[in-house]
Amino acid sequence: MLGTYFYHEIIRKTIIGFGTLFNDVYIRHSKDNGNVLDETKVGISYGPMQKFLTKIQEQAELNKSIAITLPRMSFEMVSIQYDPTRKAGITQTFKASDGNNLKKVYMPVPYNIGFELNIFSKLNDDALQIVEQILPFFQPSFNLTIDLVSSIGEKRDVPIILDSIDFQDDYEGDFNTRRALIYTLRFTAKTYLFGPISETTDGLIRKVQADVYSGTNTQTAKREMRYTVTPDPINADPAAGDDFGFSESWEFFTDSKSYSPTQQEDI
Amino acid sequence: MALNPFFLQGSSNEQFLIQDLINEQLKIYGIEVYYLPRKIFKTDDIIREIQSSKFDDLFLIEAYLNNYDGYAPGSDLMTKFGLKLQNEISLTISRERYEEFIAPFLEGISSGIREGRITEYDFADLITRPKEGDLIYFPLGERLFEIKRVESEKPFYQLGKNYVFELNCELYEYENELIDTAIEEVDNTVEDEGYITTLRLVGAAITATASAAGISTSSPSIGSIVLTEDGYGYTSTPTVTISSPTSGATATAVAITTSVGNVQSVKEIRLTNAGSGYTSNPPPTVTISGGGGSGAAATAIVVSGGILSFSVTNAGRGYYGTAPTVTIAGPSVGQTATAKAVISDGELDSIQIINAGYGYTAIPTVTISSPVTGIGTFVYNEEIVGQSSGVTARIRNFKRRTDISTLYPPIDVQVALNTGNFSVGETIVGGTSSATYVIESYNRESYDNPYDVNEEIQTEADGILDFTESNPFGEY
Repeated sequence: MLGTYFYHEIIRKTIIGFGTLFNDVYIRHSKDNGNVLDETKVGISYGPMQKFLTKIQEQAELNKSIAITLPRMSFEMVSIQYDPTRKAGITQTFKASDGNNLKKVYMPVPYNIGFELNIFSKLNDDALQIVEQILPFFQPSFNLTIDLVSSIGEKRDVPIILDSIDFQDDYEGDFNTRRALIYTLRFTAKTYLFGPISETTDGLIRKVQADVYSGTNTQTAKREMRYTVTPDPINADPAAGDDFGFSESWEFFTDSKSYSPTQQEDI
Repeated sequence: MALNPFFLQGSSNEQFLIQDLINEQLKIYGIEVYYLPRKIFKTDDIIREIQSSKFDDLFLIEAYLNNYDGYAPGSDLMTKFGLKLQNEISLTISRERYEEFIAPFLEGISSGIREGRITEYDFADLITRPKEGDLIYFPLGERLFEIKRVESEKPFYQLGKNYVFELNCELYEYENELIDTAIEEVDNTVEDEGYITTLRLVGAAITATASAAGISTSSPSIGSIVLTEDGYGYTSTPTVTISSPTSGATATAVAITTSVGNVQSVKEIRLTNAGSGYTSNPPPTVTISGGGGSGAAATAIVVSGGILSFSVTNAGRGYYGTAPTVTIAGPSVGQTATAKAVISDGELDSIQIINAGYGYTAIPTVTISSPVTGIGTFVYNEEIVGQSSGVTARIRNFKRRTDISTLYPPIDVQVALNTGNFSVGETIVGGTSSATYVIESYNRESYDNPYDVNEEIQTEADGILDFTESNPFGEY
């Protein structure tokens, strides 16, 4: 079909990157005299989950004694949309190294990933504490530097833009219905999707070879001497004290052959 | 005249009879539940909510379970916040029993006789009926329910009076409220719930031992290094180099830096080996280099009969926080040596010489102060206090980790309702048990809460995110 198998986990990495922005939020409760009563780290999870896993994890004992612990946050990816404003030529490529080989990488395709962060609390004050700790960092975006394609160390700045803030406070109604206090923050992560990464056909010059002929007519003349230059050593490393020199060699021939660049051997 | 005057529409004796019959029926057909009144720590009168409360009283009362056929189907919901249970029960309790056996005690609470009373937001008048927001411990299933609504007019004025309260309850949404009723069955309902962190405590501690490796009786050594200029602008610890003697061993030393007002300078220089073969004239030179700063300078003092170095003979265990003190026996004539211990991972790592002393003719004895040995067993829900940080927390679990070490098992304590961060090395003391232990490490991650994946997210993110300029949302 379109090509070979590849999976850079870019969307998953963007989800992780988004989640890590909110995984260290605390709230405090205090007494009337101002003394701190307790400090709570607000738990966060990716919202969508296998139902059976939720049951066996969160209700391992079937007689769970409480309804839920609060406050909690959850986040989830809600949309994936192509972003034409960041479009680059699709045939453009750039070179990158995976440490050993030079790779050819096509320009990534810009995509906007929509996220929702939900904050569920029992108290209005808790929700306000959480929201107030988040909002000042988004004006309206916050840049995350994510290693989107780790095999080539391709780090990209992914702006996370705060699009909207809604909250639902169902305090009205009969007293048999519990008040639900949920804040919903919507974000857009401007990420990039990379296609397959291939070995590049061009690369570093690791060897230079020049053949010297006995005449100028290359149809009839045969090479008689070969001059070869290679870096010394080929895996030169400054840390190992290499001087980045090169090795030269000369070879002389009387076999009336000539070198075929196509077959890369004497014929 | 609207009513027939020849009949009594509910005499007080008839009303008493009905109330007695109801009381008896409830005692026969009811179940025992605990009523937990809410005590309030703080209210916000602007956004109108009670922001912190606790439940530490409870009253046993009989109640008839109206939904005898069980909870409504579909009470467990999958939400974007994980599992949420919505089990509801409806209980009927006797009005007279409530008024005579619970209300008088609540009056004591509300009028401020008991600790934890309601402050500004006073519900002192509201003791004649069960209150919304109070809890019911339901023993069938060991669940905590919150009263959502109290119905007092059902059945509707039979013989001119109401005899029961109907309590409509739903499972409690827990948010780190203190539930400390002293009834284990009730308190344990939230044993594993909420934000719980883990303290690792030093179980058995062992005193370290060390000895002086030698004294400079035959060849002068360096006695101490006096810092003459402390320099500035260091970003890491600079290297200290002492010139070599003509013949003998070269002394070695390390710099100790300090930071005041974000400017790091050299605080002192400690010898790790005093060397030998040095002369006072010319004295050895001391060079302080590297570390990103400049300006620090020091001179060396040469002595005879000083201690050359120390060797650790037993690293001990249980040294966290402040390093132990090192006591060195003095010479008959001369100056007593002084030294500082360096600890690492709870053990004595090395001893650095502040002043090697002089006049020693024989190797002196060296004594290392003992670490605090933990003692006692914490009890559930007791308050612990960090002696340095002043942080308090409530004990949830206490376990000797024999699975880690059978000989010297560390102790893991799960705590909740902590008021801040405990410091490694500080001593914690239990308010009830008086158990005392030293903190080896403190993990602020939520313990064993299947919903919270904060730590897992961070672990994954550490491999793919580049927070070169630091994470403004806080570092782990």
